[in-house]
Amino acid sequence: MRTNILLAGVGGQGVITLGMIISQAAMEQGEKVLMSEIHGLAQRGGSVTVDVRIGDFHAPIIPDGEVDITIGMEPLETKRALARASMGSRVVMSTEKMVPVSLSIRHEEYPDLQDIVSSISGNFRLRTIDAVSIAENLGNYKAANIALLGFALGTGWLPISVDSVRRQIEKTFSKKALEINMKALEEGLERGRSAQVETMEH
Amino acid sequence: MSAYQGLLNGKPGEKMFLLGNEAIARGVLEAGVAVATTYPGTPSSEVGDVLYEISEKAGLKFEFSVNEKVAMESAFAASLSGLKSFVFMKHVGLNVASDVLMSISYTGVRGPMVIMTADDPSMFSSQNEQDNRHYGHFAHVPVIEPSNPQEAKDFLKVAFEISEMEGLPVIFRTTTRISHMRGSVTLSTIEPPNQNGLFPKDGRSFVSLPSNAYHFKEELLSKMGRLGKTDFSGTLNRTEGDRSSRIGFISSGEAYNVLMDVLNKHQVNVEVLKLGITNPIPDAIVKDFLSRHGNVIIVEEVDPIIESDVRAIADLGFPEVSIHGKMDGLIPMSHETSPNTLESSLSKVLGYEIKAGDLYRSKEELPPRPPVLCPGCPHRATYFAVKRAVKMLKIEDPIYSSDIGCYSLGNYEPFSEADIMLDMGSSIGVGSGFTKATDQRIISFIGDSTFFHAGIPALVNAVNNNSRMLVVIMDNDVTAMTGRQPNPGTPIALTTGRSRNLSIENIVKSLGIENVKTVDPYNLKDTLGAIMDGLRADGVSVVVARRECAILRDNRMRKEGEEVKYHVIPEKCSSCFNCVENFACPALSVSNGKVTIDPVLCDGCGVCSQPYVCPFRAIEVTTNEN
Repeated sequence: MRTNILLAGVGGQGVITLGMIISQAAMEQGEKVLMSEIHGLAQRGGSVTVDVRIGDFHAPIIPDGEVDITIGMEPLETKRALARASMGSRVVMSTEKMVPVSLSIRHEEYPDLQDIVSSISGNFRLRTIDAVSIAENLGNYKAANIALLGFALGTGWLPISVDSVRRQIEKTFSKKALEINMKALEEGLERGRSAQVETMEH
Repeated sequence: MSAYQGLLNGKPGEKMFLLGNEAIARGVLEAGVAVATTYPGTPSSEVGDVLYEISEKAGLKFEFSVNEKVAMESAFAASLSGLKSFVFMKHVGLNVASDVLMSISYTGVRGPMVIMTADDPSMFSSQNEQDNRHYGHFAHVPVIEPSNPQEAKDFLKVAFEISEMEGLPVIFRTTTRISHMRGSVTLSTIEPPNQNGLFPKDGRSFVSLPSNAYHFKEELLSKMGRLGKTDFSGTLNRTEGDRSSRIGFISSGEAYNVLMDVLNKHQVNVEVLKLGITNPIPDAIVKDFLSRHGNVIIVEEVDPIIESDVRAIADLGFPEVSIHGKMDGLIPMSHETSPNTLESSLSKVLGYEIKAGDLYRSKEELPPRPPVLCPGCPHRATYFAVKRAVKMLKIEDPIYSSDIGCYSLGNYEPFSEADIMLDMGSSIGVGSGFTKATDQRIISFIGDSTFFHAGIPALVNAVNNNSRMLVVIMDNDVTAMTGRQPNPGTPIALTTGRSRNLSIENIVKSLGIENVKTVDPYNLKDTLGAIMDGLRADGVSVVVARRECAILRDNRMRKEGEEVKYHVIPEKCSSCFNCVENFACPALSVSNGKVTIDPVLCDGCGVCSQPYVCPFRAIEVTTNEN
């Protein structure tokens, strides 16, 4: 099995943690996994992508056009990352917006969310979730990445089992944070199972 | 913090999912290194983060040195005392330490010594993409190149063996993709370090006086000559694929990974020689390879270094072999080996077709999101105050001389407070130089760690040459950009006694600089006043803008259970947009024509609530009643 997973978001959103959990869950299933991270200057507040490659690959970077599924923590960053994905490939996206400073300093507002959703759904198989609201309702917005992961798993688009993800989450979080993250996973999972692909608009 | 204890506790045979740099840190333990030193720099920093945390338990002596030159000297001393030593840095750090390297290759080492350089092809977080394998040829020392985390750990141990074998320092070269790639690593046994160092007075000289160096040079070349005859098959070098293929490839490092993925994708079965030691080039293996293939293509990052050596070997004995690579334009000379570029470079010679991509080519331009100063970052307030001071004093065309650190981001809008930025400490050296050339006002920005690293000699020079300039030392307690490592000025409490909290003010004052002020950048009024005083003064004036890094502050406040947030009172907001335009905190944005503060992003620094940023007092602290 060979699967290329592209994770996109804003530095600080927990994109690397998401990649770690997916990678280690796949490893637990006996797969070879490579993951690539960005550290240093780009770490906080900028666009961040993490590449996860499951299967017999040598290089950690997914070639443009070979992304199987994109998991986006933020709409603009999802759209930006999709420049590396082939049209028609799968996308799951959290809809909570983060306004880039480049817009704010010109008093410009964030593009209309519906426009982003329709431009993506017109070219990709997109499923969306408001992962931040789910996490906030559970008591910690930081669990949004895990809610999104649950959602992605629920769609059946990820080649890893829910149980191995659960075990990785148990290993990742401290006792205090574990309960909320587990709930976020379950709620995301539930929504993913019933989610519909956004209508294609041509 | 116990994030890295697993690296110390992992049992032989156990598999861990490790970052290249974490694997290297484990390799340090498995090699039995006694002394490790560094100055942090991306993409090498995580090695130090691990060793700093676990060194005591591992019985390893670890030092965050003041700069790379001192780090290398420090490791060299350990080696002269018979101990295994390891020094690591980012690629440009080796420029700083090169003065040491060029001489210790001549003197040789006693205990094995490995020098790790983490190169940054494509410049993800660096000022250039220099290929430090050149230092191997330049200094006549071996160069080892791993391709993945497992090799990074295992090759490091071989590097120590080579150093021990020939008494030479060995360069261990990674790149961003290797250092920041995660993969499965099978652990081996940890060797307890020998810490019984002794510098024996055995008559061997390490004094590089010309009369000695004259002889050292010949000895050095004979060591490298011997190494070139060793083939390291089975440890560092290997071949794979069809030995009778018309075309053969020679590759190393991450370029090898990309090459293999392209070959596998198109099911091309050709012989590939993977080199783990690229200086000296293993002569016999390369000759053997050239004798088998009419065409040889070299794929490497960044400069054609293996290619030059292979061309030289071919010139001398295999004129019929056609060599291709960067020098004949087959493969680009710049940047890392991109999978798509390599795939298209090789498509003609290998005779496969690339399916026309159906990539999503949206014509729409997306608003960029470059890295920004964090919410609550004290540097934002300092840049805001300096810009305001320059405006109030009507200073035309000031020259902003910036330096290496998070505050390099002051280059971007709305601050645009960087005209020049080169290398560690250059803000003061270049700034002072300008005073000889122009009457424009000079403002240098330098962080605390960079000041200790290379700013002090430049400041001595500025004072000694009567330069008129303002030096703003942006002291946030730590070496922030690389992950908040401690430096000589870090408060003792943050390092549980492993730093000395040296006083920047005392150092500056000891040079005879009279105009020295320390301010808290969160207090804009004080900061503005101090900057204006500094700009009015003659000679060198210094403002120390001191406030802990916002990430440190977040961590501290979380521990203390304190949470402060600010919000905008819509009725008071006049939509003047001074805050978003000129202060540009990521927590501030415009929605429905009014400014709002994202409570998730707000750091509670409160600087935006001060009248310089919000003259209408529309930003207030959020209390339970709100």
